Amino acid sequence: MITFVRPAVRLIRYGLLIMLILIPGLSTIVIVQYRYTFANPAEVNSLQVLAENPAIRVLFGVPLALDTAGGFTVWRTGAIVVAILASWALLTATRITRGEEQSGRWALLLTGRLRLPAVVAQHLLVLLIAQILVGSALALGFIVTGAGTRGALIYALGVTFAAMLFAAVGTLCAQLVDERRTASGIAAAVLGLVLLLRMVADGVERLGWLAWLTPFGLLAEAEPYAANRLAPLAVMAAMALTVGGIAVLAAARRDADSGLITGSSTRPGRFRLLRSTPGFAVRRVLPSAFGWAAGLCTYFLVIGLLARSLTEFLRANPRFADLAAQAGFAGLATVQGYVAALFLLLAIPLGVFAASRLSHDAADEADRRLTAVFCKPLPRSRWALVQIVVIVGAVVLLAMGSGAATATGIVLAGADLRLTEAFAGALNAVPVAVLCLGAAQAAIGWVPQAVLALGATPAVGGFLLTVLVDTFDWPDWLGQLSPFAYLASVPATAPNWAGAAGLIGVSVLLVGLGIAGFARRDLRG
Amino acid sequence: MPAQTARDAIQTIGLTKRFGQTLALDQLNLTVTAGEVFGFLGPNGAGKSTTIRLLLGFLRATAGQAWIFGDAAADAAAAHRHLAYVPADVALWPALTGAETLELLADIGPGIDHHYRDELIQRFELEVDRKCGTYSTGNRQKVALVAAFATRAPLLIFDEPTSGLDPLMEQQVRQCIAAAEARGQTVFLSSHHLTEVEAVCQRVGILREGRLVEVAELSDLRRLRLTEMTVSFRGAPPDLEQLCRVTGVSNVQELSPSRLSLTLTGTPAAALRILANAEVVGLDVREPSLEEIFLEYYGQPAT
Repeated sequence: MITFVRPAVRLIRYGLLIMLILIPGLSTIVIVQYRYTFANPAEVNSLQVLAENPAIRVLFGVPLALDTAGGFTVWRTGAIVVAILASWALLTATRITRGEEQSGRWALLLTGRLRLPAVVAQHLLVLLIAQILVGSALALGFIVTGAGTRGALIYALGVTFAAMLFAAVGTLCAQLVDERRTASGIAAAVLGLVLLLRMVADGVERLGWLAWLTPFGLLAEAEPYAANRLAPLAVMAAMALTVGGIAVLAAARRDADSGLITGSSTRPGRFRLLRSTPGFAVRRVLPSAFGWAAGLCTYFLVIGLLARSLTEFLRANPRFADLAAQAGFAGLATVQGYVAALFLLLAIPLGVFAASRLSHDAADEADRRLTAVFCKPLPRSRWALVQIVVIVGAVVLLAMGSGAATATGIVLAGADLRLTEAFAGALNAVPVAVLCLGAAQAAIGWVPQAVLALGATPAVGGFLLTVLVDTFDWPDWLGQLSPFAYLASVPATAPNWAGAAGLIGVSVLLVGLGIAGFARRDLRG
Repeated sequence: MPAQTARDAIQTIGLTKRFGQTLALDQLNLTVTAGEVFGFLGPNGAGKSTTIRLLLGFLRATAGQAWIFGDAAADAAAAHRHLAYVPADVALWPALTGAETLELLADIGPGIDHHYRDELIQRFELEVDRKCGTYSTGNRQKVALVAAFATRAPLLIFDEPTSGLDPLMEQQVRQCIAAAEARGQTVFLSSHHLTEVEAVCQRVGILREGRLVEVAELSDLRRLRLTEMTVSFRGAPPDLEQLCRVTGVSNVQELSPSRLSLTLTGTPAAALRILANAEVVGLDVREPSLEEIFLEYYGQPAT
């Protein structure tokens, strides 16, 4: 058994390590922050008005037990923690099952005593145990910071089961289709849909029952630090077991190297966008760009729809506007300030999108799919530059799409924001995404094993750094290391042109460094 | 830049590649003349693929240099105008169909002979409307072969091009190589498939542990290596002791009172002089196959 699970363990260890730090880390920061901010009981009571605002409910879920550090942290970070861990679980599931199978590495495994369903089950099991480890670390974080054991256990169990469910969803998708990226796409779409359902369930009272269909809703129904119910957790565990069971059964009903859904293996050729390198770069980006666009536009449409309600709430409760200002989001009480803050967050998905595109390029190189391209009379530097330009184009379009969606939502909700303001705000986030692209290209040139991790660092790491510096009053120079320090709150204030230019300048340097390294180094594969 | 490079399809001088402590290729000096079909042999791990990846500029040489028709191999934009390549293990984008892949590879390169490509698709019986993700190893190899031959590039570099193909398709590849040769194209063929090399190549290079141990015409290799001789005679046998002392003669065996066999390396003159003392009635000389030559090279330790 141990020898069989070793390959799976090896495949997930680095990601697991990051989750073991990130998930409990995020929560303990908020617990400490809560104690610091709400030292005074009167302040704590003022939090209760949060529960009454529908927009707050849609964004963060229904708040409960806000008078405890644990309850506040569960409400404030629960959805984010589940979303991060679930994303990791489902992407890892498709990577270590379908990805390994697709690469041919399972062929050897399958010639041994184990049959396909058993191999799938073992990989899933390893991933489920990984979620238990992360959940345990999360519970430990709550308990160690003195947030109360019972609520911590209920919450951590809920997070663990939710992540398990998405590990199972990823594994199931990997049985349905024969291509890892497609499987990841379907599983991610399920997660996105579930998030949307949660927003609807919390925002529209008549549809509150929908909460029981999503792990987010079930986690809320468990009411950690309030009612501490076990029944919703049991439902979640049953869901995870069922989906996992279906995944293993599905594995038994298919052939190795194929999926249950075997779409036609033939189709007439579609030759558009194949006739040049830039065309092909566009064609490669399009499917995933559409996926990201769908997710971002939906999210920012909701953000727009909530703008009026939230800004009115913050104007009525200036204490929260102050708190948000302390956390780096000033001026939330105006529509412009509110969208400016949320558009800064847009830098994270845009940066991750940019880095993930280049990490696909690195994977194509390692899997030798680029060999056929690189034996053409085409310098590697040109290939790399074309990819960069196309990805920047995609990032700009994604930003504009998000801006347009926000403006649409705001107008539908009866508030006022000009389309140009929305575009300006969304495009304001682009330099951080471009910096991610620069970091990813530098990684391709010099450390091609870590393109996604290094590429996502400016956006994800930078944002975390900004939050940490603001929360714990760390020295200013530390905050200056985050690219977010160079973005103005557009459209609430004028753009920081010098800052944006500086970010772009650093990105250009990184891209140059990366392309130089890529052009000179040995190709992998 | 070396002299007369334009006539040479491939030239390497002192080409060396190290991966950390491992010396993968040691001082390779090799010239492949334009228009020849050159076989590149060696056991697994000898450095054949490393050599090819250096020629393609995929790897940077630790020392030495390589030229493709006079253009430095590291300069992909210039050197790759002259060549097409088929790797041993072809990886394609799974979502593209065969036809789309061929179109892409045609359009980002310097152009192809479309008529010939259609003919090749027929000859290799390639189902071009299938998605590459559903192709077998052999079918992926066919896509790469069709794409390479269709370029009509002056230099075709093949790394085990038929490892996944059935014998009928292997035959097609041989015919295409012959056709390429007839058009004056150069072929650099790395292969384990010795009968294939024997069938199409005039000259071979043998690589062992990163070193080129032999470059010769196939006919010379045969002549110089291990000829097997069976002699039938009437009456008194030749002087076996004397025969055994001749340089190059080994493995002398009396098959019957009137027949003996021996293996011979190098020129047979001295051995024939001793045999002439007996009344020889039959002489059978069998030249070694490439496989025997190959095994002879690798049976002995490196010097």
